[in-house]
Amino acid sequence: MEYGKEEKTTNLAFSKVVTSRLGGETISLCYQCGTCASSCPVAKITERFNPREVIKLSLLGEKNEVISGDAIWLCCSCYNCQERCPQKVEIADVIYALRNIALEEGYIPNIYSEFASALLNDGRIVKVSKFVENKRSVLGLPPLQPTGVDALRKILSATGFDKLQQKEEESE
Amino acid sequence: MDEVKVGVFLSDCGNQLSKILDFNALTAYVKNVSGVVLIERNSEFWRGDGLQTIVDAVKGRKINRVVVAESLPKLSEVNIVQTVEKTGLNPYLVEVIDLKDHCAWPHRETPQEATEKAKAMLLAAIERAKLLEPIEKLEFPVLKSALVIGGGIAGMQTAVDLTDLGFEVNLVEKAPFLGGLAARAGRFFPTDDCAICIQPPASDVKTITHTSRKCVYRSGFSEIPNLNILTNSKIVSVEGVPGNYKVTIEKKPRYVNELKCVRCDLCTTICPVEVPDEYNAKLKNRKAIYMNIPNVHPPVYVIDDSVCKFNDCAKCVDVCPTDAIELNQKSEQINLNVGSIIVATGFQEYDSSIIKEYHYDDYPNVITNLALARMIDGFGPTGGVIIRPSDRKTAKKIVMIQCVGSRDRRYNPYCSSICCMISLKHASLIKSAYPDTDITICYIDIRTTGREHEHYYERAREMGIKFVKGRPTEILRDPETGRLIVDVEDALLKKFLELDADLVVLAPAMVPAEGTKELAEILGLELDEDRFFKEYNSKLRPTETKLRGIYLCGGATFPKDAPTTSLHAHSAAVKAAKFLSTGKIVKDQRTAIVNEEYCGDCEFCPVTCPYGAISLVSTTEEHLVARISDLLCEGCGVCVGTCPLNAIELRHSRPNQMLAQMKALMSINGTSKPLVLAICCSECGHTAVDSAGMARMQYPANVRVMKVPCTGILQVHQVLEAFKVGAQGVMVVGCKSDGCHYEVGSQKAEKKVELAKMLLKEYGIEPERLEMFKMVFIEGNKFAEAAQMITERLEKLGPLQLMRGS
Repeated sequence: MEYGKEEKTTNLAFSKVVTSRLGGETISLCYQCGTCASSCPVAKITERFNPREVIKLSLLGEKNEVISGDAIWLCCSCYNCQERCPQKVEIADVIYALRNIALEEGYIPNIYSEFASALLNDGRIVKVSKFVENKRSVLGLPPLQPTGVDALRKILSATGFDKLQQKEEESE
Repeated sequence: MDEVKVGVFLSDCGNQLSKILDFNALTAYVKNVSGVVLIERNSEFWRGDGLQTIVDAVKGRKINRVVVAESLPKLSEVNIVQTVEKTGLNPYLVEVIDLKDHCAWPHRETPQEATEKAKAMLLAAIERAKLLEPIEKLEFPVLKSALVIGGGIAGMQTAVDLTDLGFEVNLVEKAPFLGGLAARAGRFFPTDDCAICIQPPASDVKTITHTSRKCVYRSGFSEIPNLNILTNSKIVSVEGVPGNYKVTIEKKPRYVNELKCVRCDLCTTICPVEVPDEYNAKLKNRKAIYMNIPNVHPPVYVIDDSVCKFNDCAKCVDVCPTDAIELNQKSEQINLNVGSIIVATGFQEYDSSIIKEYHYDDYPNVITNLALARMIDGFGPTGGVIIRPSDRKTAKKIVMIQCVGSRDRRYNPYCSSICCMISLKHASLIKSAYPDTDITICYIDIRTTGREHEHYYERAREMGIKFVKGRPTEILRDPETGRLIVDVEDALLKKFLELDADLVVLAPAMVPAEGTKELAEILGLELDEDRFFKEYNSKLRPTETKLRGIYLCGGATFPKDAPTTSLHAHSAAVKAAKFLSTGKIVKDQRTAIVNEEYCGDCEFCPVTCPYGAISLVSTTEEHLVARISDLLCEGCGVCVGTCPLNAIELRHSRPNQMLAQMKALMSINGTSKPLVLAICCSECGHTAVDSAGMARMQYPANVRVMKVPCTGILQVHQVLEAFKVGAQGVMVVGCKSDGCHYEVGSQKAEKKVELAKMLLKEYGIEPERLEMFKMVFIEGNKFAEAAQMITERLEKLGPLQLMRGS
């Protein structure tokens, strides 16, 4: 941890940025009791993610460490932490807010950008493989129809999703 | 009525003011104001020669209105008014203003403008004085007796204090025995002594030294001659007024005659009915006829009528050697008249079963601090041994969890303030009795504020008690061994721990005692957001309530440790004694009065009155009119501001008096700037103006201050009238919303100002000409800045254009 080394103003601003984002509003209520950490199934198996620590770093303004690291992408969104947080910090939602910030700044793990391209191109996150098609016919299910990808693109464009994706591609 | 003769007394503060204000011009101006018969000038008028001048003028020159311009009026007024009263003139015919801090000092850089403003201020005071009316003093009787609700340490201590002072005290306890939570807690920090000892009453003849303290049972508490103890009783209703409350109490049957029982124990031995003992956290059973612990008070058994078989069994009746058991006892209703009521209902543990992840309901080895306290108590269900309730074997590994349901925004957001100390006390007591016990405390923050408290934390660490900074997410149970596992992250190590435990002790939040809400409704008291009784003012009146004669003490207002409870109890006793001692309430009639001709059928004022002083009564014409109690009315005028029919007035601040003042203040400008009327409440608003002057802050002299009891008195049309009589802008200056001296006044005023702004807009007047400001009295700078700001704003807007007839 190197908090305090960065310029003070950026540090202070970061927790405010998170608070102003959808899902991030409750972050400052955290008093570091660690209920989230001990509730977290991911934290129990890897040291790479600890929700309490993500929140603490964000509150201290360690923006770079938070958004460039892979911790925020390891949350499995089980919401156990959020259910048990005594301060009603919406922890999983805070992590979504942090992911959105990371994305805007060009930080996104490859797997997520692949999902995004797939969604924009085919209207599906996971490509339909031959294996799936065969399996469906064995089970007597009808073949999958092409998705209404044009309509989906319109929606994704209206929400700004496509721009994020472009940004990601530019930065690569 | 006699002809009005005004005497004006101008203090120049030892010629300090005359360096700024032209006193000759002031005198010349005042002389020509109608009604003025006398003008005097002196260096001061509130004491010595100056004060004598006023007395002589009242006696010799027969003046019947006194206008004094004096510095520090809030101090000097007291003396002047008291002296005037002695001369026989009604003291409410005196008007004191401050030419120093409200005029000379803040405008010292523009002496000519200051002089013109001083003229306006004097004129306003004279015009108001002319319209003042005598106000009478009223007396209301006060019974010299009190009711104390709650027989825990707070209630008992208050009762001892009040009986020592000679008052008749009735102590009501809903449980069959006294002692409350304290008796169950066993021992107290920071002294580690018994919880249930009190300062003995004066009637205890064996109390030799004033340092002595005694257990309730040997203190002679029950034998205090002027104390009436009613256990097993609850309050059914309270009616009446301060000084004379009519209380109805239901006393449930004990089925054992208190005067006959000799505590021989034959009845409990023979009783065949056994039930889990709630008092002892169900760690043991008790009989249907029982006593909580051997040293309880009163030392008489009680029969639990929810389980007793009565005449189907009656074995206890047969065996009792003194015929003390009376199975045919019935509930009785007791009516009392008391002058004062002290609420000492305390607090209790929060129901931990609501927090599902801690399994308080399903796992017998998960207990709370209170159950642990019972185990530690030598008189308790385990005789001082710490056991696992599941198999009653000694608990060797104990994990304590702090903040269970407190500091938790899902349940109780507040810190219960005593649980850290309770757990530290328990851990240390166990560790010193059984040093090989392994104790771990899981905490979020350890809070040991208070005298001698940090020492507990220190000692606990020395003893080898372990601390884990982390709030466990869940308590698990090993399905095979039945042992408990506490799942927690130690945040300092960033390590996940699975703590093995025989016994897990929760430190639940402390919440108001059961029945608090119902009692609040019966008494007409407010609860705070955490559902505790709300005191009148947590800083200045920590034991008083909005209702005169009703006091609070102990845990009823918030969880408290024993020293604080004791402090609070003594304090409440003093307040109650002060109220009861004179046998009467003397109160002047600076209250609201209803014009019944205009009043009718709406219910705004009774709802709005912060003091519950207004009731609706039906008249002969079969419509409802408001009736105001002179005893309860505090004279704020919030009802005046609320009444849609202008049917209510304050005797000491009538609309015509206010209008005359307004007109006078706006009649002279003397500056090149637009006139501003600053309507200030008599509390923070007006004193903020004092502060600005005292600190010699400068603001323009076109700002004129008018004092009202509370900004809540303002009616929308009054604000508009200010513009009509010449104001170019209006400031309303009140207390902060949560600091209004009359509870709701400044909030009400804010709404009026909003409404008035809308109307101004309709009339084509810029709504920015009107502004509400809220400040506390030390914020003189805020007032000066506001005055400057509004003046500049008005200069930018240009002169006010009033339409003819608007």
